[in-house]
Amino acid sequence: MSERAHEQPDRAPEQPQDGWYVSRRGFLIGMAATGAALALGIPLGLPVVRRTAAGLTEGDAGGFASGTLDPLVWIKIYPDERIRLYLPKAEMGQGIHTALAQIAAEELEVSWEQLEVLHASTSEADGNFRGTSGSMSVTTLYDPLRQAAATLREILRAEAARVLNQPAGTLVAQAGAFQQAGDPSSRVTYGALVAGASQWQIPEDDVPLKAPSEHQMIGQSIPRIDLPAKVTGQAVFGYDARLEGMLYGAAVHPPTIEATMRAARPGQAESMPGVVQVVIEDGFAGVVAASRLQAFAARNALEVEWEEGHLWQQAELEELVSVGGRGGVSIQREGKAPSILKEGTTLESEYRSGMAAHATMEPQAALADIGGGGGRVWTSTQFEMNERRDIAAALELEPEQIEVIPTYLGGGFGRKIPLSSVASAGIEAARLSRAVGAPVHVGWDRFEEMRNGFVRPLTHHRLAARLDDQGRIEAMLHEQASGDALFGGFPQAVAGIVGFDFGSTRGAQIPYAIPHREVTAWRRPMPVPTGSWRGLGLMANIFAVESFIDELAAAAGMDPLQFRLAHLPDDALGQRLRAALEAAADRAGWGGSLTEGRAQGLACSVDGGTVVAEVADISLDAGSGRIRVHRVVAAVDPGRTINPDGARAQIEGSIVMGTSAALFEELTVKDGRIEAGNFDRYRLLRMGETPEVETILLEAPDGKPRGLGEPPIGPIAPAIASAFFALTGARLRQLPMTPDRVQESLGA
Amino acid sequence: MEITVNGTSYEVDSEPDRPLLWVLRDELGLTGTKFGCGIGICGSCEIHLDGAATRSCITMLSAAEGKSIRTLEGLSSGETLHPVQQAFLEEQVHQCGWCMSGQMMRAAALLEENPAPTNEEIESTMNANLCRCGAYGRIKRAVARAAEIQTTAGGGA
Repeated sequence: MSERAHEQPDRAPEQPQDGWYVSRRGFLIGMAATGAALALGIPLGLPVVRRTAAGLTEGDAGGFASGTLDPLVWIKIYPDERIRLYLPKAEMGQGIHTALAQIAAEELEVSWEQLEVLHASTSEADGNFRGTSGSMSVTTLYDPLRQAAATLREILRAEAARVLNQPAGTLVAQAGAFQQAGDPSSRVTYGALVAGASQWQIPEDDVPLKAPSEHQMIGQSIPRIDLPAKVTGQAVFGYDARLEGMLYGAAVHPPTIEATMRAARPGQAESMPGVVQVVIEDGFAGVVAASRLQAFAARNALEVEWEEGHLWQQAELEELVSVGGRGGVSIQREGKAPSILKEGTTLESEYRSGMAAHATMEPQAALADIGGGGGRVWTSTQFEMNERRDIAAALELEPEQIEVIPTYLGGGFGRKIPLSSVASAGIEAARLSRAVGAPVHVGWDRFEEMRNGFVRPLTHHRLAARLDDQGRIEAMLHEQASGDALFGGFPQAVAGIVGFDFGSTRGAQIPYAIPHREVTAWRRPMPVPTGSWRGLGLMANIFAVESFIDELAAAAGMDPLQFRLAHLPDDALGQRLRAALEAAADRAGWGGSLTEGRAQGLACSVDGGTVVAEVADISLDAGSGRIRVHRVVAAVDPGRTINPDGARAQIEGSIVMGTSAALFEELTVKDGRIEAGNFDRYRLLRMGETPEVETILLEAPDGKPRGLGEPPIGPIAPAIASAFFALTGARLRQLPMTPDRVQESLGA
Repeated sequence: MEITVNGTSYEVDSEPDRPLLWVLRDELGLTGTKFGCGIGICGSCEIHLDGAATRSCITMLSAAEGKSIRTLEGLSSGETLHPVQQAFLEEQVHQCGWCMSGQMMRAAALLEENPAPTNEEIESTMNANLCRCGAYGRIKRAVARAAEIQTTAGGGA
């Protein structure tokens, strides 16, 4: 097994030969003359491909398609036994290349060493259905990948039957070869079949897939395929991409949130050391220099006049993002919560969460090599097709004239999804490369990364509920306001049709069985560019809803675990929540005795069908107001786990990032600009502050895999906050839970 | 100016106050050493200067003259991985991997100086490096494991 996604920049894009052949089952088969490779692709953008394919002659043999019928994912088998898997997914540390290779290998019946994984460039696979976000990679590809792999195996089986002159049903596929059961001398490899065949029989029916009990690859903790290159420093990230004769570029960025460029002049920049060219064109000003630091220095010397716009202050932004007034959209409504709560409430609370940075350790970076007719761009991106679209638009080229070659990502967390409202290293590199006629690398510094990207939006929540005589929740209302999480990236027309930002409302709905429940969301676009951040609205919404549930449990005089169990819906989801809550509580020793000065809190969430329950053990340094999280037990049910160790790594990472964000991380705006510019003023959790994380992996009865990268970030903040309540009797209702806010809540 | 990196001498004509990080990455093409913050806080750029863990983003080229520089690319001996690299693989530590060059170099310097660190010593040393993916628990385990591998290998030699 090897990772070939990030070979040297000189790799040529590969196309299946002779275009694609559309099978009657809707697969795309790429084949050529005897001796060439065999490829099979999945047209995941099925409706689009079907429409295109409709114009083709569909005889018994299907029809040959044009080159525009590119598949989303494809598998290619070579005569020398290599098997390449072209994936549309970015490897940003979530182990997705390994997990998807396991899924394909399961049905292909090949040895792990034969497989090579590539993150396909924009010229190598379908353009319309790509991107890595929302914890959806495994969820969306699990079935199609297995079906494609199984179909490819059966195509080979038919050929093996012909070559061996044996009934297909008597042949066994194993380790990249077929043989008659018990007769190794009859063995014929996939590569030999590919080398010898001139015609292929395509199965007419769906190929049955293995039952989960037969799985040998899925469910195994197979080591990550990208790690050997990462431990030796050979892995190429966007910041590392190099080409012979490349130069370095840097561009100016707006000094304030609303600033627009009035004019730019080279000033002293042109005569500074190493400067090759100053580039000033329609709202863009940048420099190309022999070294990166020379480019930064010359960029800073450009004379730019800015229209500053309104100089926003933090308080104004918080006022802007508030619930109430016009524009609220109901996203959950059962019964008549508002009218019941008008008659009286047991409890009303308000919650807020601040802006946060993604703080990917690798800042934005791209290498571009652009000539008059277009060219290539290597970049760390979660959405290579949007990069291509935006770069082409900036250069007034057709998208097909640009090939974007994705590299490894030094962290993504949503930040490496291009947003047209913020600057892009890819566009900057492309503009500079075209102007200077040489490859140019643009890598942002940390200040640009903190201040010139987009951030996690502010949120505000108002909750109200009434308990009945038995201490059950009779009615509950969650009113939520948020800056844009997804809408910032949508065309206005699409945003209008969708109606509400389903990104910022992730986790906002009330999962408990409450007769009268209602959730209303207000979209509050902010002047600061905002966008997706691990889990989008999940962290803020679960913090508000689950903290409020904890408040209600206290008001009812009930244990928070028992209170939740008593309100679970009587359905499959309720059963999965119960299993997760009980497993986490049991492992954490919920209700048992703890070390003096410690307390536990608990919270749960449902996100994208993945169920999570977490118990946090904390203590408080009363003098400083610092909360210390010692231990987190997480019970996670993602339906089915592809790679248990990889899954645990994602859960650990989510909980550590969530703890960091819950305790420390906040971006604030003053006089029109984001205050923090680097890690000295944007504090991240360090090793000494990191909790021990214990993970329990559960499976759902339906055996369907769901997402895992984001869901565990949901319950961590409310688990910490409810532990704080258990310890002190005080509530923390604003994220992050900084020492100042801790002291304030304690009346200090 | 002549500098020695991973046992090889290089003649570089950069200005003496250029941070070593950019000399290594952009002039010598040794991109295993990463840029994270540029102000010496995150530790992604850590290398060894005469064996000591050093932040190359705030170390001038002139400070490296006459000293031995080691980067991640020079950590293994040929095909044989350094115990720290072996342990980081065994524990499947890396997620995105961007900070890990610095983490591994810092760990290797620690083990050179203290072949059997306690958990507290590992934590107090490694506390200086940031990891956004949140792999701290695995880093801690891997450094302890690397010490074991190193001791076993040393004992057998």
